[in-house]
Amino acid sequence: MRTGLVLPEKLGKQIDCILVELYRKTAAECVLLADITGQLIDAEGKTQGIDPGLVAALAAGDVAAMAELTRQIGEENPQGSFLHEGEKKSIYLFNVADSFILIVIFQADIPVGLMRLFVRRAAERLHPLTAEFEDVMGAPRQVSNTAFSTTLAQELDRVFEGL
Amino acid sequence: MFINWKSREINLKIVYYGPALSGKTTNLEYIHLKTNPCMRGELVSLKTRGDRTLYFDFLQLELGQIAGLKPRFNLYTVPGQVCYAKSRELVLQGADGVVFVADSQQQRLEDNLQMMRMMETNLQALGHSLRTMPLVLQCNKRDLPNAAPVSTMRQQLGFNGAPCFESVATKGAGVFNTLKAVINLVVSHAQRKL
Repeated sequence: MRTGLVLPEKLGKQIDCILVELYRKTAAECVLLADITGQLIDAEGKTQGIDPGLVAALAAGDVAAMAELTRQIGEENPQGSFLHEGEKKSIYLFNVADSFILIVIFQADIPVGLMRLFVRRAAERLHPLTAEFEDVMGAPRQVSNTAFSTTLAQELDRVFEGL
Repeated sequence: MFINWKSREINLKIVYYGPALSGKTTNLEYIHLKTNPCMRGELVSLKTRGDRTLYFDFLQLELGQIAGLKPRFNLYTVPGQVCYAKSRELVLQGADGVVFVADSQQQRLEDNLQMMRMMETNLQALGHSLRTMPLVLQCNKRDLPNAAPVSTMRQQLGFNGAPCFESVATKGAGVFNTLKAVINLVVSHAQRKL
């Protein structure tokens, strides 16, 4: 079992390009990529006024609940996409390679059909890239162990002092 | 755990697990209340109308730049009611560490034990175990007159060697000690992988 994800810099840039293109072509407010455990991987567009980390966590919860719900009604491969059409803004969640979620927030006057088309295409391009994420166990060391943990412990004491 | 080398962010997921009404949400509420707003996000609770956790509570903490990295801690609670077993497993997915919030009242000891066994089952389903998952035990509600001795709770729950903290989450006692302990434990565990 995978113990954690590592996004190498080069792969991060490739994912950035796909999200930026999707954001521009659809005129979406913003485009996010999260994994199914709720970790935010990347965000493009206007994220002011929303908390991308929170959106990622809630989207993962939604997708997990919906997957379980569809399994309950006998779907063998519960996956796919979920759309909320709001009065002003809509949100579209799309499964990528079973382990990732593409999240698009867009103005409600943008045609949903167009959105579905471009999101599906972006997901197809993201699919092979998701296999290139590294497992934490196999990733090269890029951080000094003692410096990080010592400084973190000191910072925790400072931040939470007296609480 | 998710590490983004482009933005030099390390995201770690910590789950507060425990029986119903043991104080998991209260822990997050107190952390949210007392932490500098520029270092934390919104506390979001997916609750029933009766104010019970339906799916999870979520709070994100950011400690700024540390040794050239930006650690971010995503704190979740699970719903404690027995019927939400599947939801607990879903929330536990991808967890880097767990705080088990036990209710110290004598009459809740059996509930703690039952929930601990469920957690063990959840962890096994996700390829982990109590031995491999960084774990902190929090014995909450220590201010109540019928609180069981901590030694009894530790022994009964069988968290061998796991750090243990007494708390009164409604007043904040022990909440940040627990949080610091689980963060340090999770980070040292993550570094062994890095």
